[in-house]
Amino acid sequence: MSCFEGQLAAWVAPAHQKTVSTTQTIATLVAEYSTALYRVAFSVTRNAAEAEDAVQETFLRVLRHESRLGEIRDYRVWLVRIVWNIVLDKKRRAKTRPEGEDLADHARALPSGDRPADASVISSQEHARILALIDRLPNREREALLLSAVEELTTVEIAAALGTTESSIRSRIFRARRELALLLEKEGIPR
Amino acid sequence: MNNAMEPENDSRISTTIDEALQSIGSATPTSGLEGRILTRLASQRMKMESAPVRFPLLAGLNRSSRIPARALGFVTSCLLAVIVVAGSVSHSRKLHSSQIVAPPVLVLPSHGIGAASAVHPAAPASAPVPAGQGARGRSSRRSGPGRARIAPHSRKAPGVAVPAPASDNSQN
Repeated sequence: MSCFEGQLAAWVAPAHQKTVSTTQTIATLVAEYSTALYRVAFSVTRNAAEAEDAVQETFLRVLRHESRLGEIRDYRVWLVRIVWNIVLDKKRRAKTRPEGEDLADHARALPSGDRPADASVISSQEHARILALIDRLPNREREALLLSAVEELTTVEIAAALGTTESSIRSRIFRARRELALLLEKEGIPR
Repeated sequence: MNNAMEPENDSRISTTIDEALQSIGSATPTSGLEGRILTRLASQRMKMESAPVRFPLLAGLNRSSRIPARALGFVTSCLLAVIVVAGSVSHSRKLHSSQIVAPPVLVLPSHGIGAASAVHPAAPASAPVPAGQGARGRSSRRSGPGRARIAPHSRKAPGVAVPAPASDNSQN
């Protein structure tokens, strides 16, 4: 190896190693958080394809800002914030498609249990109706309630993602549930 | 009876809400989501690497030393400002030391185009106009002693009261 080749290798090798390490980091993030991000996206879009698009877009943004990966303290909160902004942007832009209409998506979202198919569909319709009522809640309360539905997220993480305090999130969730219960009473829940 | 129904109703509503939230909170993506994401990321990375860099030096700087582009721009503009100010100051000092600039001499044309507007001589003092033969001061009528006198032969306009002519006796 000549002197020039040695110098070149010394220049290129760290850059190459860096790229490999960021690729590995991103792959790890995908493996660890893609399902949680999908659920966050699905809570807003209520559509499987759109939720998946949002998750892919999230990781594309991560790739674009891969140089900042080392500065991130909490990946989960960071990623949730990105996907949250993406789905809210999409929702703002495309108000054409009403949410909660795709029953197939709801049926797919339901965990497969021992219920018969018709019971599942009825339940799915009922859930769709409740989700439509959730959409009538004020923004802050609705956001907190939807994120609280995602299993992987704690109240602290929700607070960090929405840029507020944990106590504020708790009170928002409480208010949202109370408001939702009032709406359900008005509408009359099926018995 | 109604009060007894309320807690039951509340718990039922709460359960319904929980179930609905669980339906979205535990949604599972279609299988192979991770693979699809990784494939898309790989193709995006290839695109990014094949795309030409517009400012390779700046991009290299940014990537290696993590100097933000704004800071780099700010430092450059500060340097340029210092160079401009220093150049201007040194230029003016050089001029000041080498020559003393005299005030410009204004040459006024005495004739020709522009002479009238350029020169404004003082207007000659006007000579006193000689008084005519019949000229008199405005107050000459009253310059005499005592009251004004009305000539006895003067006419009065009809209807105008005229004081009787004063006689020397009455004055005395």
